[in-house]
Amino acid sequence: MAEEKYPINIWINEERYQKLQEAGLADMCEEMLAGLKVLRVYANEEQKDKILKVFPTAKFDASTTKSIELLPREVKDKIFDKIVEKRSVDILDEFLADY
Amino acid sequence: MAEIGHGGKEIVERILSPGEAAEKIKGLTQVPIRAQIANEVIGLAYGFFCPLEGFMGKADVDSVCKNMRLANGAVWSIPILFDLSEAEISDYGIKEGDSIVLTYQGNPMALFEVEEIFEYDKKEMCQATFGTTEERHPGCARTYEYKDKFLGGKITLLTEPKINPPFDPYFLPPLKMRKAIKEKGWERTVVHQTRNVPHTGHEWLMKGAWLQTYGELPIEKPLVGVIVNAIIGAKRKGDYIDEAIILTHDELRKAGYFGDHNHLTSLTFWDMRYAGPKEAIFHAALRTNLGITHHMYGRDHAGVGDYYGTYEAHHLLASVKDDLKITPVYSMNWLYCPHCGEVTSEGLCNHRDEWQKFSGTLIRSIVMDGVKPPRLIFRPEVFDLVMECAEKYGFGSPFVTDEYLEKRTPVFTIPPLSA
Ligand SMILES: [Zn+2]
Repeated sequence: MAEEKYPINIWINEERYQKLQEAGLADMCEEMLAGLKVLRVYANEEQKDKILKVFPTAKFDASTTKSIELLPREVKDKIFDKIVEKRSVDILDEFLADY
Repeated sequence: MAEIGHGGKEIVERILSPGEAAEKIKGLTQVPIRAQIANEVIGLAYGFFCPLEGFMGKADVDSVCKNMRLANGAVWSIPILFDLSEAEISDYGIKEGDSIVLTYQGNPMALFEVEEIFEYDKKEMCQATFGTTEERHPGCARTYEYKDKFLGGKITLLTEPKINPPFDPYFLPPLKMRKAIKEKGWERTVVHQTRNVPHTGHEWLMKGAWLQTYGELPIEKPLVGVIVNAIIGAKRKGDYIDEAIILTHDELRKAGYFGDHNHLTSLTFWDMRYAGPKEAIFHAALRTNLGITHHMYGRDHAGVGDYYGTYEAHHLLASVKDDLKITPVYSMNWLYCPHCGEVTSEGLCNHRDEWQKFSGTLIRSIVMDGVKPPRLIFRPEVFDLVMECAEKYGFGSPFVTDEYLEKRTPVFTIPPLSA
């Protein structure tokens, strides 16, 4: 069985979209829910558990979306900046190494 | 014509006139109560909890735990208890047969005719009500916090609570609600139980239930109404603030997603027990008393964690359907399908690989990231109102914070007795 992957949705507000455009990364966005731009960073089981432990406000929506939600805005900004820096969404290990 | 409530009993408001109240309480011992009990005093006195007229005695508690019925045979699923410690009972000098005055916010609220003082095994109560004795279940935790003695007896309000703005228009106790339904001309009504700000998934749950309820009725004039009944009670940090919940539901009507002809927002005071199937039965009794004919039940109704099976509440409702006067309406989830380009029911659309499910939590995360959700998912009028409520009532946040808990205007206040 393939390993379960749990997305963190980084919703793209205007400020984030501008940064992506400046970095030439606007194409990285997916579109969801009738017009929302989003970057999806996927966590494995172990990363998910660490995130929920390190950021107590975070919630895993087990019943509906199977995604990790309610991370503080600042934390998501940091994840976002990392994505821009690395030009990839595969940054979670590196991001979590600081915690 | 008598208004008959749950259990076949006539709904009678138990409220004294001001003059009578002042006379009745002279010389009686005053006992302050906490918010949960004040909520339940209101539930008992206005007939929300009909056929109950007061806090339960031991025979009722025992029968509820063992048979999910009151001692008189009416279906009932959750014990309604008044607790005190042994020391408090002796300090106040309360004996069976005494009448005492319950005070809230420093003012006399209700007359309590103490018929019985008893004990009951809390674990047994938890097992019967919640299907578990685990302390991490919020309903069990609440039960274990009860003091060790219970007082049963009739409750009568000494004064009507003053419902503070913006909640005042939404307090429609059973007799008032039944009158409102008659005035609307609705032959059937379907209730939506909520503690949430509505996204379009909720909106479509209500619209779907309205269609289900309409059934074979003629369509020449509007005969079916959706009644939103928000549960107002204990708040947890991170919940939407009460003001946002009630006002945004009404906004769906005001902004035209519903209208006066098919939608009414109301509230009930109650601290959620998260009893899943048992809470579903309790909701059926409550809404029967409100004069509502149909009740929406989704998956894992009023559940918490993974304590209850997805359809367990539906099965329990089916097992007592002959004793309930309200008809359950079961709802499938609604989701966004990019292929259909619309919010659709998972019972209808078959583009399963493309489905995008959304939840209140997901919408909160969108809002927290500073993004306005698309109107197909979250109505712009609702979004704007949530933001307005944050400023006006939430000390900057639409979600419950410590500051909100400390400084909010209470939903109701008990005015001093005017003699
Ligand atoms: Zn579809």
